Amino acid sequence: MIRLIGLQPTYMPGDSLEFEYRVANVDRGSIVAVECSVCWITEGKGTEDLGVHFFQRLAGDSLAAIDWSIAQKISCPLPVSPLSYEGQLLKISWCVRARFFLNDGTELMAQQPFYLGTVTREI
Amino acid sequence: MKTDESMKTKWRARLRLWGKKRGGRMTGWWFIGSLGEALFFAAVFLIGVFLSAILISWQLMSQSTQPLKIGYGFWLFLGVCLSFVVMGIVGFWYRVLKVVTSDEHREVLDLKSILPQPLKETQQTKRVLTPPTIPDVKRLTDSPGARLAYRLPSQIPENGALVALGVFAMAWNAMIAVFLVIAAENVLRSQVPWQLILLLVPGIYVAIRSARLFFRSFIRTLGIGSTTVEIQDLPLLPGREYGLEIVQYGRLVIKKITVRLECQEESTYHFGTDLRIERQTVFSEEIASHGRDRIDWGYPLRMECRFAVPQDAMHSFQSKHNAVHWKIVVSGEANRWPSYSRSFPVVVYPQPNPSRAIAAP
Repeated sequence: MIRLIGLQPTYMPGDSLEFEYRVANVDRGSIVAVECSVCWITEGKGTEDLGVHFFQRLAGDSLAAIDWSIAQKISCPLPVSPLSYEGQLLKISWCVRARFFLNDGTELMAQQPFYLGTVTREI
Repeated sequence: MKTDESMKTKWRARLRLWGKKRGGRMTGWWFIGSLGEALFFAAVFLIGVFLSAILISWQLMSQSTQPLKIGYGFWLFLGVCLSFVVMGIVGFWYRVLKVVTSDEHREVLDLKSILPQPLKETQQTKRVLTPPTIPDVKRLTDSPGARLAYRLPSQIPENGALVALGVFAMAWNAMIAVFLVIAAENVLRSQVPWQLILLLVPGIYVAIRSARLFFRSFIRTLGIGSTTVEIQDLPLLPGREYGLEIVQYGRLVIKKITVRLECQEESTYHFGTDLRIERQTVFSEEIASHGRDRIDWGYPLRMECRFAVPQDAMHSFQSKHNAVHWKIVVSGEANRWPSYSRSFPVVVYPQPNPSRAIAAP
């Protein structure tokens, strides 16, 4: 589960994005790696593009040191661009993603969208 | 029992022989495809290594069994073997990374430079940096203007077509000229080469048509003349006003000339094995126009105007397959000439201090 620590899901360029994530109903010992990222994706007619603004991978010792009973808090400053956009051929969306890799090969993924800048629609 | 059945169905669906693919989307199990590709490139790598080893060992170790004389043949064969090795390594690791890493992790490995680096207050970091995913403005600001700050580079698709047509016409006419000389020599020796003459008839027709088409396009380009656009400042910011000067050269009578500010979305996608680009103009505003006028050599048409990028406009954007472009478009209609349109790209940055947005639903 991902929760944005903010009153609204809209952030301005340069704002600090604070969020926390936790995992429930999963055996803590079965988690092999955790990846957390803040990224933008394009949707629409064209091939999907992905841009990663923040990326953190926890595995091995750094993962073993984590207490999963409390939510993991992360903060990162947001960039100036690209701003969220809804056009005719193209849509730019921002999101926070967390991926949990389990030792049986299963991958759990959670995603929380947010807006960067005022949502610009085609004019 | 039910679980076994569902597992069987699941695996049958995943391991089916035929699947459909549309760009990056497919009906089959992507894992099997990637595994097959990885195995293929591993085989290419092994073949390359095996052949290189055989070639080098035969050539260097055993003088009596030299398969190839050291020369072009040897180096060509070695080059082919090494290209197999390189193709195999690159292809194999690309496919392996695709399977073992997530999309985000792979993107980070590819583009480590986009991750935010800690900023230090040094002179170097104080300079203005291009925001991520926005095209570099330097390519537009390297040409100073005569009256305003910058002269914009133009994007005229007809120029590329004119050069291509010129190259084709030259090459075709040269080839036909050579065959004509051969045919003429044979005719003078009283040996009429009927097959060559039959081939020359359509060849000469194509040569005349291509030369005519090239000269018509060339005269049109010369007659309409060049268009220059100068701008007060770059990059553009939404809500701010900028001065613009357009100069139309040539020798013609203009019926109407219009200047527009346009925003265009561009998407690249795969359709089967084709790579297609779709463009859609999402904003177009006339910022200046001029009616009937005569332009002559030394007396170009000058137009000055002011324009503003809308306050809520999207900034310029460029990623691998998608883009948002802003440009100044000059379109003209002239007597005895076909209408023309010339684009001058500009870069729009996001607003530096936008007002706080209301919560989106």
